Amino acid sequence: MDLRFTETQEILKKMARDFLTKECPKTLVRKLEQSEEGYSPEVWRKMAELGWMGLIIPEEYGGMGYTFQDLVVLLEEIGRNILPGPLIATITSTFLILEAGTEEQKKELLPKIAQGELILTTALLEDDGVFDASGITVKATPKGDDFVINGTKLFVEMAHVANHIICITRTKDGIVTEKGITLFIVDAKATGISCEVMPTIAADKLCEVRFKNVTVRKKNMLGKIDEGWPIVEMMLRKGAIAKCAESLGAIETCVEMTVAYSKERTQYERPIGAFQALQHKMADMWTAMETSRYLIYEAAWMESEGLPCAKEASMAKAYVNEVYKDTAKWAVRLHGAIATSADHDIPFYYRRSKAADIAFGGTDFHREIVAQKIGLA
Amino acid sequence: MDLSLTDEQKVRKQEFNDVCKELEKKKPPSYLGFETIYEYDEAWEYNLYCAKEFAKKGWLALGWPPEYGGKGDMMDRVLFAEARGYYGIPGVDIFGVQMLAPTLLQAASEEIKREFLPPIARGEVMWCELWSEPNAGSDLASLSTTAIKKGDEYIINGQKTWNTGALKADWGFGVFKTDPDARKHHNMTFILHDMKLPGITIRPIPYLDGHAPYCEVYFDDVHVPAKNIVGQEHEGWAVVNLLAGFERSGINEIMSMIRGLEDLVEFCNKTKRHGQPLAKNSLVRNRLAELACGLEAARALAYRVADLQNRNEMSLMDASAGKIFFSELGERFAFLATDILGPYGQVKTSRWAPLDGVWERMFHEHFITTVSMGTNEIQRNIIAWYGLGLPRMR
Repeated sequence: MDLRFTETQEILKKMARDFLTKECPKTLVRKLEQSEEGYSPEVWRKMAELGWMGLIIPEEYGGMGYTFQDLVVLLEEIGRNILPGPLIATITSTFLILEAGTEEQKKELLPKIAQGELILTTALLEDDGVFDASGITVKATPKGDDFVINGTKLFVEMAHVANHIICITRTKDGIVTEKGITLFIVDAKATGISCEVMPTIAADKLCEVRFKNVTVRKKNMLGKIDEGWPIVEMMLRKGAIAKCAESLGAIETCVEMTVAYSKERTQYERPIGAFQALQHKMADMWTAMETSRYLIYEAAWMESEGLPCAKEASMAKAYVNEVYKDTAKWAVRLHGAIATSADHDIPFYYRRSKAADIAFGGTDFHREIVAQKIGLA
Repeated sequence: MDLSLTDEQKVRKQEFNDVCKELEKKKPPSYLGFETIYEYDEAWEYNLYCAKEFAKKGWLALGWPPEYGGKGDMMDRVLFAEARGYYGIPGVDIFGVQMLAPTLLQAASEEIKREFLPPIARGEVMWCELWSEPNAGSDLASLSTTAIKKGDEYIINGQKTWNTGALKADWGFGVFKTDPDARKHHNMTFILHDMKLPGITIRPIPYLDGHAPYCEVYFDDVHVPAKNIVGQEHEGWAVVNLLAGFERSGINEIMSMIRGLEDLVEFCNKTKRHGQPLAKNSLVRNRLAELACGLEAARALAYRVADLQNRNEMSLMDASAGKIFFSELGERFAFLATDILGPYGQVKTSRWAPLDGVWERMFHEHFITTVSMGTNEIQRNIIAWYGLGLPRMR
């Protein structure tokens, strides 16, 4: 047992911190939130040069061949800084291709993803907003060698700038909702697709994507027909851990900024950090951060080793969701009025804590998985 | 990051588990968890029996240097604590084995080590701690019980309190004011003494449920050999701080809660309310799942603390965070479990009590972890002052 980062991970971490500090200042984050695209193509290109989009793609497909654990290290840094853009959407879509793609699909898509030439996103949620298979109603109907997709997806991250959308469709109705789910890689600019950005708390460009008689070739099916749900579960599991890592970085920033400010800000002729009412709250924030950290690292290690970790991933997500919201809330509270201003950096984290909570399944969704895994009938 | 165990560790883990599982079968009815060893003779005998069994295998000296009879390393100690926690097995004297022994190894003279370590390793001598006083709790350095040197003895006078298991213990370790004129933190000495010495009076303090794990100890001209000190004379504060850093990973308590959760899940699966298993109640599911997440987080942090200890990189902050977290998790668990049990949550061990009445006990026993070993409020100060670098209270 050794809970330290490897040398490679330390290098990756330092490189990411330096890069983001330089290339992604909060002035840019603020600008991107207000922009239509929601990401910087220039920073995206530079990230590709560093190999981030291809980090977990095997070398034979033009990637770096790093482990899932290494990815977690990178995402923690990204979360510390906040980097708006389609990185997590592209990486989680990559999980699907790596898991279920044919050799042809991998050869075609993965090198381009690694090069930063393709932005991908995955369309899961629909009208009723649930993360289980019962929510999937967008239909894919066979028509000759093709399929025709009809219906509306919601909360599709960065779909407005994506090159491909992995659409999770229903190809068969039945009592068991997990059966009859099929995934397709759809050209985001295909005829019949329309996309509209939804106004959300984190301004993170979640989109409504409407499919109207969208034709997709059978060869663009990802995985087997009707048997797509286990792949989606895999993506939700890995995505949950990945999101936790990003949240952990954000939690770190919230704690550090609050502690630093409490040492500077003077009231009653002393730094406010000298008051135990604040000290104990900050100690609690720190404790919550550390408990989150090792829970996430444990899940990431298990995922990296290929060990079954649906329980640990859901435990991490259910736990970190609440810690992030709570830590960001207290960061605002301990800063006082100043952190309620749009010009302050803490609100970025507070707003994002809600978005992070929802992504890849909210707290109650993951608690139900945990309830099953601990043996509740 | 690598959380895997080596093949050798897996083998030892299995052995720790096998032995503890066997010992579990020999629990007397009055033994209902660690605190009960101080209350019932039968439970105390069981504690001594387990200690002897562990001593035979050398497990009371895990992580000690070989020259003092040690074997294995800190990781073995963690795996052993996990097994004991899960099966609820006593026999590892929290004061002698877990607190005093590592302190002696780091701070005591060779003579003291040679005299006191072997009986601890053999499971023969049980210890208690004599720190708090009626007017010195969290602010321990303001203690007033004196040990005045006279010839080759210290003469101790005063009162200690909240001494867990003092009525059963053979020996005690305490801090006493040896130089009343010196400044705070440089006026006390860490002294070891026989609890049966003339002049010592021990009284049980009824705990809020009527049991008595705690005692108060009176000293009336108690003569202790002057050689029985740890660290430098008048510098006992440094020893106190050293000792306080040991064994706060909480892995034992966490595994005990993990077992408690398993038992409670089984109870919910087979107990019907409103015509269906309690396990089907979505509130029960949600609340138990929330607790399970916290438990896993606590365990992960405990591994972190153990990993640091193993590499001699002990972080006070992490240890304090772990202590706060697992002890408050224990509070929440007790509240939650007694909620789920409904009216049965108030029943003491008896034919009416589900799960041996463990949750009624836990409803008050959790204070033992939140209040002792440095209250959680003091732990928060430690994190704030020493970890986050915030200004100290004036």
